Amino acid sequence: MSRFSPFNAVALTFGFAFLYMPIMLLVIYSFNENDLVTVWTGFSFKWYGEMFANRGFRDAAWVTIRVALISSTVATLLGMMAAVTLVRARVFFGRTLFTGMVYTPLVMPEVITGISLLLFFVNFNIDRGMETLIIAHITFTMAFATVVISSRLIDFDMSLEEAAMDLGCGRFEAFLRVTLPNIAPAVAAAWFLSLALSLDDVVVSQFVNGPGSTTLPIKVLSSVRLGVSPEINALSATLIGLVTSAVIIATIIQKTRTVREG
Amino acid sequence: MMIRAVKGLTRRLPIIIPFFWLFVFFLTPFFIVLQISFAEFEYGQPPYVPNFRKVEGLSDFFTQLQMMTLYSYEILLSDNLYWKAFLSSLRIAAVATFFALLIGYPLAYGMARAPRSIQPILLMAIILPFWTSYLIRIYAWKAILQKNGFLNNVLIKLSVITEPLTLLSTPFAVYLGIIYTYLPFMVLPVYSSLEKIDPSYTEAARDLGASGFTTFWRVIVPLSLPGVIAGCFLVFIPAMGEWVIPDLLGGSGTLMIGKQLATELFNNNDWPVAAAVAVCMIVVLIVPIVVFQRVQERDQLRRQQEG
Amino acid sequence: MTQQDKLISPAPTTDFSPWAEQDQEPLVQFRNVTKRFGSFVAVDNVSLNIYQREFFALLGPSGCGKTTLMRMLAGFETPTSGEIIVDGKNIVDVAPDKRPINMMFQSYALFPHMTVEQNVAFGLHRSGGPAKSEIEDRTNRMLKLVQLEPFAKRKPNQLSGGQKQRVALARALARSPKILLLDEPLAALDKKLREQTQFELMNIQEELGLTFLIVTHDQQEAMTVSSRIGVMRAGQLQQIGTPGEVYEYPQTGFVADFIGDTSLFEIEIVGQEGDFTVAKWNGAEAPVYLRALDDNPVDPAAKFLSVRPEKVTVSREQPTDAPNAFKGKVVDIAYTGSQSVYHVELSPGVTIKALDTNRLRLVASSITWNDEVWVSWRARSGVVFQS
Repeated sequence: MSRFSPFNAVALTFGFAFLYMPIMLLVIYSFNENDLVTVWTGFSFKWYGEMFANRGFRDAAWVTIRVALISSTVATLLGMMAAVTLVRARVFFGRTLFTGMVYTPLVMPEVITGISLLLFFVNFNIDRGMETLIIAHITFTMAFATVVISSRLIDFDMSLEEAAMDLGCGRFEAFLRVTLPNIAPAVAAAWFLSLALSLDDVVVSQFVNGPGSTTLPIKVLSSVRLGVSPEINALSATLIGLVTSAVIIATIIQKTRTVREG
Repeated sequence: MMIRAVKGLTRRLPIIIPFFWLFVFFLTPFFIVLQISFAEFEYGQPPYVPNFRKVEGLSDFFTQLQMMTLYSYEILLSDNLYWKAFLSSLRIAAVATFFALLIGYPLAYGMARAPRSIQPILLMAIILPFWTSYLIRIYAWKAILQKNGFLNNVLIKLSVITEPLTLLSTPFAVYLGIIYTYLPFMVLPVYSSLEKIDPSYTEAARDLGASGFTTFWRVIVPLSLPGVIAGCFLVFIPAMGEWVIPDLLGGSGTLMIGKQLATELFNNNDWPVAAAVAVCMIVVLIVPIVVFQRVQERDQLRRQQEG
Repeated sequence: MTQQDKLISPAPTTDFSPWAEQDQEPLVQFRNVTKRFGSFVAVDNVSLNIYQREFFALLGPSGCGKTTLMRMLAGFETPTSGEIIVDGKNIVDVAPDKRPINMMFQSYALFPHMTVEQNVAFGLHRSGGPAKSEIEDRTNRMLKLVQLEPFAKRKPNQLSGGQKQRVALARALARSPKILLLDEPLAALDKKLREQTQFELMNIQEELGLTFLIVTHDQQEAMTVSSRIGVMRAGQLQQIGTPGEVYEYPQTGFVADFIGDTSLFEIEIVGQEGDFTVAKWNGAEAPVYLRALDDNPVDPAAKFLSVRPEKVTVSREQPTDAPNAFKGKVVDIAYTGSQSVYHVELSPGVTIKALDTNRLRLVASSITWNDEVWVSWRARSGVVFQS
């Protein structure tokens, strides 16, 4: 594809403006000192101070982070196993069922995943809390981890692993010493994606959380329902800033690594 | 023998562990939803009459079967609120998908034709909003669309309108929210299929006398169709079940089935009806989901064969 | 029998031919090996013996099952039925890492995250394996063997195709396998380098006294390097023999056509005329005369005749001494510098290829398109078979 036309430029400008304008406005207005969110009166960090002082936010953030770290790690491990299975084992009993179970959560509306997990936990008398949140997050993020890892595994030259076995490695050792170092970027990407999805999730969490396990998005949702508040603006801007810098740093790291490896 | 069996088992662990996990936490819950949808509604904890115990013998199985009730489904059928909610969800999802394609395709096309060197940056720019919270992005629109919000302020400043418009709590806001949220899901697959198209195809078409538009319409568009299909599924299916967007941006007039489900569950505490709604949603969505999976699987197989 | 016919020896004998000796125990035995993938039969009841120090080539078009056969020996595929015996033991259930066999992969499969040195040493770092100093020593010897010492610290993506190929070879040889498998080892190299590498491979094989099994679709490569060739088609072994045998004594039309160049005709044997067998054929009204190399009778059920281009003489004048001489028209000339191949139409739709070496540095040969010419060959030059 070549020859960039004015039409292309317009499409890009319009598309990106649409994507970024609301976020930009949100960030700008988070520095507004006025109580009324949309009337600009002056620059201030006031709402950031209020936000950091809010105990509810702090507790919720801590829950969110713990849930996200645990669930993304487990989801990545499970996703890696599922990806290996799907890419390597062409034929096995129950393959269709397995593929279905792996890919369905990608598109399944979250309310359905949420209600079914909720009813599952209630049915088996499992108290809702951190544990149920973690289980739910693993279940729906695992699909994304699987997709990310399997797309790298497909391009991975299987003969490398065979060569390792040929040279005396057992199956597991060959995977550890040869396959894993080569798919590491995809595994890292899968972990980040699971982490982001877990940090961000509101719908499934809303169904399966319990007292004392309120995550930040759940907290934000309940206050947003009531209306726009400057404190939420500050919180949003902080989260956007964190994510943006994390993504940029990750990209730079990856860039320098590929450059170094030639 | 023993050692061999153990060896076989460890070798299968990568299949067994995720399979087991998904079986327990993904598949089983659906059957519980199905079971509860046949149960009777009752106030208290848990808010339904469990109608399945451990089955003891064949006669017991039939007794239990008799206890099943279609009560929740009768409610769904008789109350046209649910019908309307279903149809309105389908319509909203379809229209939103169409507009997402309308905005997303030119965007993806522009990205694919941009100089190679800046393509990774553009790609990152598409993915970045996806990493920033979904909730925050919807919330941002709430601030823009409300009565004294940014859009109304600008329009009044520009003297396009004199009185602020009601934008929030309208179907328009819901459409906007869905299109905005799911746009990256449309752009990414379309871009990845456009980007794979060998430039020599375009050159060949031009060489054979096709105009720029003909080339686009008869070569580029058909070749990017797999991406378009994937994108449409990725927008349509989740949009169909949206709850947060109609909840935050839509008013009481915007019916969506996902929102209805949450209302039954959280406000009315009617679990059997909520379960029945979920069952109906699965039934409606199973076809597109299966089609989507088939397409994905075929694509993966093809890539495996090529690689 | 003429003087010239005597010069063609029935079976080329060399000093190395363990397959011809009764008491030789084969190193590798495939016994009725079949491999199915679903309903597709990749390898169909193949039995094959390979002996110590052989350089055995599996030759065939892509998809003929040669790679599957090799991968079963390496341990990456399990036979659906049959046995694979190495050194007297059935190895079907032995994991790839426990077999005394190493493989050089077609893609080379060099680990991209390791240096040349680390790649070569990879197979040596085993529990119960050699000590560290010994590993270093062996790695260096291997690098020396393939002349890659200066590149020890490089990563695979900093090497040329030929260098990568040599690293792959050194890595596979480092573990001193009993058998080295080479999967299309030279396919990625250009022609000049390929020819040079063929000789290097042969030298290394001889020097180390190892058994090599090579899989290739390049008949020239198979002929050059191997002691024996197994020709495969659609999962079956069509013929096993020395390069000379498979070239001069092809047993099927497929082998004759796949190895070297040939012209194939349909024949029907009608009788005997002195030493010659007479056959009707689709080349001309006049019959074609056949005779076996070893004074045995020609197979009366033969249905096809193969004549190699270099055995066919093309001339303007009618030759007097050849039993098979036919008139035809030149329809095509393939000039390759050292030689020219004339495609001569004998009857409508039936052509024969005749090769002429361009010994003289003359620009144009006297024969050109649409010329009426005579083609002739000896009765013993034609090979017949049933399929």
